[in-house]
Amino acid sequence: MEEKELNEKESLSLISEMIQKAKSSFHESGTSAILWGSVTAVCGLLSFAQVQFGFSLGFDVWLLIFVVIIPQIYIIIKERKNKLVKTYQAAATDNVWLVYAISISAIAFYQNIVPGISDKLMLDEGMQLLQKNIATGEVKDYHFFIPSLSSVYLIIYAFPTIATGLINKFKPMIWGAVVCYALFFISLYTSFKYDMLMLGLAGIANWLIPGLILRDRYNKNIAC
Amino acid sequence: MFKDLDPILHSQLRLAVMSLLISVKEAEFTFIREKTNATAGNLSVQIQKLKDAGYIDVIKKFNKNYPQTICKITKGGVKAFEEYVNSLQSYLGKE
Repeated sequence: MEEKELNEKESLSLISEMIQKAKSSFHESGTSAILWGSVTAVCGLLSFAQVQFGFSLGFDVWLLIFVVIIPQIYIIIKERKNKLVKTYQAAATDNVWLVYAISISAIAFYQNIVPGISDKLMLDEGMQLLQKNIATGEVKDYHFFIPSLSSVYLIIYAFPTIATGLINKFKPMIWGAVVCYALFFISLYTSFKYDMLMLGLAGIANWLIPGLILRDRYNKNIAC
Repeated sequence: MFKDLDPILHSQLRLAVMSLLISVKEAEFTFIREKTNATAGNLSVQIQKLKDAGYIDVIKKFNKNYPQTICKITKGGVKAFEEYVNSLQSYLGKE
């Protein structure tokens, strides 16, 4: 760029050109979305398959989520260091995903802690819940559980995706989240087995497909 | 009566730098150089002038042993930029 005297029109034109250049400079690689989408899809579909086909992997397949957190953190740090520019949208999106990470972890704790604590609190009060089989008359202990928590997970899955889609005007994420909300409503009426299937499908619609589209755009941009 | 245009901003390269920085949270020196097609030497001089005017913050750090210069616009810079654009618009409106 050469230094020259600008008139008013040229100044405004330069401002507009530079703002456009800045806006078109940020491209998300989609790596995180592909990673999360893949692991959620694998976990959900394997959980469904175990119930549907009557086999067991011998461990809770959803623990894979925690295995993915380590490469996820590595990818985030690496991408952040290599970024030459940080847009306001990217900063807002990062914060949305941070809130998501906190929320999903909090719900995982809630799911694992609340039933046991509820049993204990009732026992402290000298009470215990029992269930009776009305056909046989058999009475057994009844332990607290949180019904249809996978529906809640579906809402939480949709939240960062729709926020990211709206902030960045990225339609595949908006539509992915819409699919996720639709699956949420369906999951209110379905059993655990199909809830797992829907969590897997949500991973594909919500993250994997938008992530692959982002990756394709990123690769095309790098090649330009 | 027209307001005088801010001489710090009424320069092609400095205005280009400010226009880039107003659109992003922060940007690295190499990004600004690439987008403005300026030489490193000239860009360094103009960035220093913007910094001296209090319009941008310049943060120097290392990434994998390579020096990095991060630039971000200040509140004063945003205000000056807005006033500059308003002045330009009032000039054009009176034409």
